[in-house]
This record gives sequence, structure tokens and C-alpha cells, in this order.
Amino acid sequence: MAAVQVSEAEKVYLMHGVRDGLRLDGRRCEDYRHMEIETDVVSNTDGSAKISLGHTDVLVGVKAEIGKPKPTVPDEGYLEFFVDCSANATPEFEGRGGEELGVELSNILYKVFNNRHSVDLRSLCICPGENCWVLYVDVLLLQCDGNLFDAISIAIKAALFNTRIPKVHISEDEEGGKEIELSDDPYDCMRLNVENVPCIVTLCKIGHRHVVDATLQEKACSVASLLISVTHKGMVTCVRKMGRGSLDPESIFEMTEAGKRVGKTLHAPLMELLQKEESLGKKRQKVGFLG
Amino acid sequence: MLKSKTFVKKTRSGGVLKIVREHYLRDDIWCGSEVCKECKDEAPVLQEDACIESNLCSYPHYLIPDTNVVLHQIDILEDPLIRNIIILQTVLQEVRHRSATVYKRIKDAIHDKEKHFYTFTNEHHRETFIEREQGESANDRNDRAIRVAAKWYADHLAKATDNGPLKVVLLTNDRANKEKAEHHGLIVYRCEEYIKSLIGNPELVDRLALTPDDQNEITGSKLLFPEHLPLSRIQTGIKNGMFLQGTFHANRDNYLEGTVFIHREGAVTNEVLLQGFQNLNRAVHQDVVAVELFPKERWVAPSSVVLQDDNPDDEDAEEDETETENKLKSVASESSALKPTGRVVGIIKRNWRPFCGMLSQSQIKEATRHLFTPADRRIPRIRIETRQAATLVGQRIMVAIDGWPKNSRYPNGHFVKNLGTAGDKETETEVLLLEHDVPHQPFSQAVLSFLPKMPWSISEEELKVRADLRHLFVCSVDPPGCTDIDDALHCRELENGNLEVGVHIADVSHFIRPGNALDQEAASRGTTVYLCGKRIDMVPELLSSNLCSLRSNVERLAFSCIWEMNNNAEIIKTHFTKSIINSKASLTYAEAQMRIDDTTMNDDITKSLRGLNKLAKILKGRRIDKGALTLSSPEVRFHIDSETHDPIDLQTKELMETNSMVEEFMLLANISVAQKIYDEFSECALLRKHPSPPPSNYDILIKAAKSRDLEIHTDSAKALADSLNNAAIERFPYFNTLLRILATRCMMQAVYFCSGMDNDFHHYGLASPIYTHFTSPIRRYSDIIVHRLLAVAMNADSTYPDLMDKHKQSALCSNLNYRHKMAQYAQRASVAFHTQLFFKNRGIINEEGFILFVRKNAIIILIPKFGLEGTVFFENKDKPSPHLTFDTEGPTLKVEEHTFHMFDKVKVTISLDASNIQHQRIRMALIEPVIPGVSVPVPESEPEAKKPKLDR
Repeated sequence: MAAVQVSEAEKVYLMHGVRDGLRLDGRRCEDYRHMEIETDVVSNTDGSAKISLGHTDVLVGVKAEIGKPKPTVPDEGYLEFFVDCSANATPEFEGRGGEELGVELSNILYKVFNNRHSVDLRSLCICPGENCWVLYVDVLLLQCDGNLFDAISIAIKAALFNTRIPKVHISEDEEGGKEIELSDDPYDCMRLNVENVPCIVTLCKIGHRHVVDATLQEKACSVASLLISVTHKGMVTCVRKMGRGSLDPESIFEMTEAGKRVGKTLHAPLMELLQKEESLGKKRQKVGFLG
Repeated sequence: MLKSKTFVKKTRSGGVLKIVREHYLRDDIWCGSEVCKECKDEAPVLQEDACIESNLCSYPHYLIPDTNVVLHQIDILEDPLIRNIIILQTVLQEVRHRSATVYKRIKDAIHDKEKHFYTFTNEHHRETFIEREQGESANDRNDRAIRVAAKWYADHLAKATDNGPLKVVLLTNDRANKEKAEHHGLIVYRCEEYIKSLIGNPELVDRLALTPDDQNEITGSKLLFPEHLPLSRIQTGIKNGMFLQGTFHANRDNYLEGTVFIHREGAVTNEVLLQGFQNLNRAVHQDVVAVELFPKERWVAPSSVVLQDDNPDDEDAEEDETETENKLKSVASESSALKPTGRVVGIIKRNWRPFCGMLSQSQIKEATRHLFTPADRRIPRIRIETRQAATLVGQRIMVAIDGWPKNSRYPNGHFVKNLGTAGDKETETEVLLLEHDVPHQPFSQAVLSFLPKMPWSISEEELKVRADLRHLFVCSVDPPGCTDIDDALHCRELENGNLEVGVHIADVSHFIRPGNALDQEAASRGTTVYLCGKRIDMVPELLSSNLCSLRSNVERLAFSCIWEMNNNAEIIKTHFTKSIINSKASLTYAEAQMRIDDTTMNDDITKSLRGLNKLAKILKGRRIDKGALTLSSPEVRFHIDSETHDPIDLQTKELMETNSMVEEFMLLANISVAQKIYDEFSECALLRKHPSPPPSNYDILIKAAKSRDLEIHTDSAKALADSLNNAAIERFPYFNTLLRILATRCMMQAVYFCSGMDNDFHHYGLASPIYTHFTSPIRRYSDIIVHRLLAVAMNADSTYPDLMDKHKQSALCSNLNYRHKMAQYAQRASVAFHTQLFFKNRGIINEEGFILFVRKNAIIILIPKFGLEGTVFFENKDKPSPHLTFDTEGPTLKVEEHTFHMFDKVKVTISLDASNIQHQRIRMALIEPVIPGVSVPVPESEPEAKKPKLDR
């Protein structure tokens, strides 16, 4: 991943700051950077969102397609993730450079989001055992400035909130042949319940303390980080340790607690913001990519 | 300003796709009116003085029709009286979506300058574009778009004229739409209401198509037909194999019977028989229908009964109906050859076109509802409403079908056009062109704009790139009176003793460039149609009779195929080139023959002709050795009176040596070119094939020969040709010709195809492994394509994408095949009509003829003198039929005491039966052999009511 070179002196300065609860950009340890979210930015998706967190820019699009349910869970739909690390984000992603990271990210996203505690997968079922909606979630990294997971997860939640799946109904003829029929009205569509969709909070261990939303420089000073996905109720749905260093059990506990706390406070304003944006309706002036 | 249009769509594979299109809105779309100063339109279409006398609108006004009005009342809109109409883009798009034919007609009307139709692109106008709202159906949205645009026009014109008298009038038949529009302060009328208000044009009212409301009024309430299934049910039914989809073909002789040809490949049954009124269920000839197959025990055999729907009046006919149907069944059950039978459950696509025919006036004097009898017997009679019945009787008219409600015995339609007096030569020619779908309108301005400017001469560039063959003694040999000369020939001796032979073909592809309007028109026409005394050109006359025609003593562009041959007619070298020639003489076959035979003539042209003739004979001999067939069909020529244009004499075409000389070299050129383009473009060469007929086709020929103790071998073309050559009977010289005529009837149709789509290239009749058409580009479009391919192959011209696209080319081939077939039918119909005219003038004639076919209840007779075929029936409605015994082995037919064999010589009397003016026919009655009660006496009295028909 994109990395910055940090000199020894800078490292000491940064770590001492964190020890005293002060970060380079003036934030405290559990503060996020300035965040901007806009939904419905790509018209040919069924749902989309763009987020910028500091200089990290992520675009998420959701496409709904009809597919076959997995044999083990015939009455559920599922989500698929694909992360594209654009060479826009950093030159290292050029060619196949971003592939490995992309696969890693999508695997984690799959684990975090594709379960019935996060999304009501049953509502994606059209006809048990035969047809279901498959949500293809495409993540595009436009710019990397640290803390990719948190940014991506928030963008996914916003995009799922924005997703409108066309309503279908199944007509059955006398012989039992089933036919999927599409509603003629483009406004006639289904929304997902995103209440339980978790957000990922990444905590970086720096010295003896930990920070959320680490910048690239802070990341360079950290040996290990903990990735915690938290629902709006503070339930942890997934924990994962990243980085080569080790963490002692006590600090894992501490970090989980901090993650829960931060995660809970992240959900409420996010939902509020999304609802507010939607209430503006069609007349909303779109910002898009140039704003 | 940018908007995006979003909609969801289901794909074929069952997926769901969200489609987003960018939609640009502009503010520089003009209203198109002369009065408007604000819009910067350079050539406004709509007139300031848009007056049409109407009781409802006394002020000048523009009309805005909604989609349904355009779709259903296109016949009205096409009337020259109706002008100054605004066609909204919304309407145009919907029309295009719903009916391709109406779309084409409205587009034509828009292009007609006299009509002052203006297309307003309201969907791209910033002020009239609307987005679909939540809960609004697509139709409601379009209706709203129409209202918004109409409102915009009303306001816009009011502003432009300072509330002057000019108004817009919205025409709609939709009640809800009308109410809403009135609510917005628009002037709205129903179409009927408006048309009826027009003063002084009562005939327009006749052309109003009936709307469903009106249809209910005029039909009885009794349900005659089962309901058609909705399209969704039909589709699922077809998918799971319950129904079959196919094209409905009505039976020509029996209006209660029809066949559905199933499209699906690999289907178990590809023909389904339909019998009876209920089972036909309102299918009209050529409709695409869904049929349900009956279980085997309900299968029936096709009846051989001739039934014509000639009930005098419509509604009371139901009782008769069941009676005739019962008769049909009893006849059918006798036979054992049962066929898959079914019934129509729904109509997938109507293939209605306007039909030609005549009015059968209602017996009630003041009635406005009448029955219309189409010329094509496969089309049911149509009920129309007209106030001008008295003037339309005896006229050929066109009628369009509007619908066929389930409680009406006949479909409902409306009057479209009066073609003229029936029996009149112009009218009948028009009818046969329309009925055979031959495009014969004058060429449009767009087409003519691509013609070269006159005076035309060969440009410097052409002189540089083309081979200059002006010095050669080229001449053309054609039938007399030919003005579209596509081919010319030359032959000269080379220094090495070999001969150089050139075939020069008019270079039409030089003038017709791919893709332009001229090219498209020619491609759609496909072929020039030759009728008796009339030619319907494929390309405008300037090209066909002047610039492309290889006339004598003018310089013309040509595409030449030049061979070097030895004296044994073996090809040593073949060479193709674009050239410039100057024909030294345009000869007729007879003139050329005279020159060859006249030993005193020794000029270059004659020498050239002699050389060609000598080689042609060798080539022909070689071709026949290989197994090429010489077939025969009786063809006639009319001598047409130059004043009245009536046929005054009739003779069969005579063939001369020079005919076959020209033919031989054309064949050679075609084969050479076919090989060349196939070598260069193995995937997209346009070729012509003639499949060998299935052996069963020859049954009748073999039987016929056997009855005269001759054997015909049909294992190969060669065997057939040989046995035909050997088949002769002493003192019966015409026998061989008869056999050849019969053999011709056994053949398959030759067709064009694209080499990449097929692998059987063989031309059976010519015994050539590969063949194409190269030599008549003025009158056949296929030749133009072949010219282009050849030109590309020799780097004389550039290629274009469609030429190399085998699917496009395949589609083109099917159009050409269709046009050729229709042209042939039209030609035959024209000959038949002129034969009738001829016999009308000649009165009753007694003539000798031969039996060509023997049928169960009739014999078909050929009169060699007139090339005329007719049927003598032995069964009759009015009087007891004689005792008939039919033997399929012979085949022979024993009538009372006399047995008829094939090829028997008989004597008949020929006259014209004009009792039915729509279907005038040649009537034949037997004079010799004399069979009491069957044959008629020799004197020229009116023969008994036999019912012969012209079998063509």
C-alpha cells in the first residue's frame, strides 16, 4: 500500500505526540478527519456513494442483478465485492500493482458485510432456490491517504442506503412455469434496510496508545492495527488484526472497547446525514467529482 | 442542458438491466411557423394562412394529432387536403415503436413539401421536455408530453401573433386526455368530430378508420369467434410447446381452410391444417399466429372442395355456415391422408396491408355499410362504411382493415383509394402491381438527386484509369424495341491465331454508389419488372435507357470480361477490366441472324458475329454434354396496337441461333465472374444456385412418359437431358416440347445466396458448379453487387462494410429472391390479363390443344398457339356430373366412355367469361372428343356453364 517515508526524528516526534494525546493535525486520538459524503453520484448504478476522508477518496457503486442463490442458503441473496485500486490513487497501483491489495480488501469486505446480521439477505430472495438478487458492490479507490477500510465501509453503507432495486414479481402460469416480470414504473423499487450495516473502525497501535483514522505518516509509525466492525448498537461483528507486529491481549481489549465507542458515535450522524440528503430529493444540486 | 433518462429493462436471458441515456435539451428548436419572428427558422414549414374550411374551427389553425390518431387515421393524414400538421417527436417515436409501415408513411408525408408537415422535437426542447413522474405510466407520460407541447405551441403562437387568429388544435380520441387538455385551455377535438366538420369533403369521412367504439355499434352482439389469448399467455404457451407459432396461409379455393407454416426449426410438424370458421378464428392471410394442435383423433385431411364465400348478405349467413362446414367434414373424413390439424388461439402479428378489390353494394338502397370483395381470394371480404357506394360500384378500390371483432363475421375496414374503372387497362395494371407488391411509384426527389448531371460525358480521370476499347468492333444484340441494353459483344482474331472475345456489361455500379438513396431504392426494387407494354424500372430512366444503356455510336462506360480462346473455344486467358467502349451497332436477334447468314456481307461487325456464333455453338455443345438442361415453357408475345395499346395479335416467342449465341457468352461471363469473386471473397460472394429437385418431383414426368412407352431417367441432370433428347414420337413433333414443359414444372426455383451462408453452390439447370448474375446490372440489383465485388477484387473500386457483411448480404438476397418471384408472378398476371383482352376482342375461338395434366375432376389443356393453359371441369354445381373414374397410376381420367391420357390431343372452344368483372377468366369447353352431355357442339354458340380457370 501507499507508504510515506518517515525519518527517525519525525517518528519520535509523532509517537511522543500520540503518547500525550496530540496528533500532527491537531486531532485527538479518537477523532476522525473531515469527512464528505455524497450519494447517487453514478447514474447507471442502482446505488452509489462517494466519500472523501482527508485526502482518501473512495467511490462505491452497487449493481443489482438476478442470479441463482447459493445452494446452502436457498432463500437468501448475496453480495459480491470487487475493489479496484485505480492507478489514480497512487502510481504503485499501475498495471497489476493494486491487485493483491484489491483481493485482500474484497475478502475482508465480504466477511464483514455478507452475513445476515449486516444486511437482510432474505429480502434479496426472489424465488427460493431459483432466483435472488445479487448485489455487486464495486469499490474504486481514487486516492489513498490512509484508513482505507473505514472510508470504504462508510461509503458502502451509504451506497447500500442509496440502492434502489427494481421491484419484480413472479407470475406463474397453469403449468407451473415461472416468469419474472418487471414493473413498468421506474419509481417502483425496493429499498434495503441498512440499519444493521456495520462500519469498520481501524485502530492503529502507536507506542502504547492507539489512534483511529490514522494518516499515512501515523501508519508508518505503527506496527499493528486492529480492524473492528461495529453496528450502530455497538455490536462487534468482525475483528481482525493487520500488520506484522504483535498486540498483547490487554491492549486488544482496550482497543475493542475504544472501537465500539467510536463506531457507535459514527453511525448516528451518518444516518442522519443520509436521510437529510435524501429528503432534498431530485432538486438537490449534485456536487459530483469536480466539487 | 443535460438530463439523463433512466429506465430498467429485462434482457432476453432473464437479467435486469438499468439503462441510462444522456439526454440533451436545447433552446434552439424552432416552432416552424411562418408567422413566428422569434424563432430563427430559415425555412419555416407551417404556413401562415393555414385555412381549411371547417364548421368547428373557422380560424386558421395547425393540427397536432396524438399517437393513436396517427396510427389509425394515417389514410386521412395522407390526403392532400390535410396540411399544416405538427407531428411531435413523442408521437413519432411511439408510432415507430408500434408500426413500421405507418411510420414510413408518416415520414413520407413529412418529407412531402406540399403537405407542410412539421416535426417538432419536443423531447429535446428545454421547455417541453418532461420527466416521468412517480406513479405515472409510460403512456400517461407521453400523453402529458403531447399536452405540454400543444400548450407551448398555443402560448408561443399567441405571443408571436399578438393573440392573432392562428390557433393549434389537438386531435385525440382518448377521452381522459381530451378532458385534461381542455382543462389546460387547449382546443381539442376527436378526430371523427373534426373530419366530419370539414366542409365540402365528404369522401374523407369514408376513410376514417373505425375506432373500437364504432365497431361495437355495427355488429351483432352474438359472439361468433372464441376470444384471442393475450400475448403473454401465447408466449409462455409457445415456450413450453403448447402452442406453435407460424404464418397463416389461407387456401385460395376454399375460404374455410388454411395452413399454418411453422417457423421453428426442427419442429416435428411444420404444417398445421386449419379447417372451419371457428378454428381459423379471424386469421387473415399472412398473419403470424399461434396455433394449438388437436389430438390425433381430431385430425382431418385437406378437402379438395372448391368453396367460395359468396353469400349475398352478411349477417344472416350463420346458419349456412354450419351447413357448409358439415359438408366439409363429411367430405374430409372419407379420405385417409390425415394431416396435423389445429386451431388459432391468438394472433401474434397482423400483416394487414391495403387490399385491392371491388365493392359489392348492399341490397338495401340507402345503406352506408357495404361488403368489399378483395381481388386476392385468400383475403376475406371486408365490411366498410361509405356514402359514395353508388360511384364506387364497378371501380377498383383499395381498402384497409381496421379490426376484426369477435362478434363480427367479417373484418371491418375503411375505404382508402379509388384506383379506377375495373377492366380498364391502367387500373388493372395498377392492381396487379399493388397485389404483387411491386414498388412502382415514380422515383423520389432524393433518389433523383443522385443522378449524374446532364449533359454527361466521360471525365478525364475515367479515361486515365479505364481500358480504352473504343476502337473495337463491339455490337449489341437484343430483342426488338429494347432500350436498356446491358450487354455488348466483340470477337476478333489475334496475331497468334487465337480469338479474343469480349463481353461488355454496362457499368452501372459507376453511377450507383453504395448507400445513397438511389442505391437503396434500387436495392429495395431489386429488379426491373417487364409487363406487357410497360416496364417498371429498377433505376431511373436516365440511367436505364441512356447513360448505362450501351447504345450504338456513343461512348459508354463498361465492365468488360475478355477471354483469349483458341479455335476450339477453350479459354486460355481471362481478364476483367473497367473500360470505355463505343458500340458500332445495336442489332436485333433477327438482324444479327441475317448478317451471319448473308454471305455477301463481310464487314468487321459481321465477321465478329460469325466468330462469336461459331464459338457459341462449340460452347453450347460442351455445356449440353455436361448435362445442362434445355427446358421449355410456352411464352407468348403480343402485337400491341400502337394507337389503342390493345393486343391485336399473339404469337409464341421464336428462338433464333443468335439468341443462344448471346446467351452462351452471358453464361460464360457469369461463370467466370462467379469463380473470380468466390476466389477473392469466399465468405461474401453473391452467387446464384439452382438446387436439384427431390426425386419425387419427377414422378409425374416419368408417369407421363411411361404412358407413351418412353423412359425418362432422372438420376442426374445429364441423364435427364439425354432421355429428354431421345424422347420423341413419330408424327407428334410437339410431344418433346410438351415433355420439356412438364420437366420445367418439376424444377426448383433458382435463388441468390451469400457464399458464406451456404455450402451447396451447384446450379442444376446449367450444370455448373458455380454461377452468379453479372450481365444485367441495369435490370437486376444482384448484378450491381456482383459488379462491386468484382471491382474490389481487381482494385478498381473501394469496398464498404455492408459488402463484406455476410448477414447483411444474406438479408439482401432474400429481398432479391422475393422481388424476383413477385416480378415473375406480376409478369404472368399481366400476360394473363392481356390474353383476356385479346380474347375479348376476338370473340369465341376454336383451337387445338394438348392435355398437360389430368386431375380428379378436370383436365388441364395447353394451347400451343397461344401458349395458353386452361382447365376443363367435368363436375358442375348446376347439373348432374358425368361418371368419372380417376386412375392415379396413368394418370388417366375416364369420363363416361372416354378415357383421357396425358398429352392427348383435344379440341376446345375458348371465350372470355366476363360475368364476374373482378375475376374475368378464359373459359374453355371441350369440342372433341365428343362425349354426350360433356362436350359442346362446334358452332360458336355460348358454351355451357363450365367453370374453367386460368391456372397461372
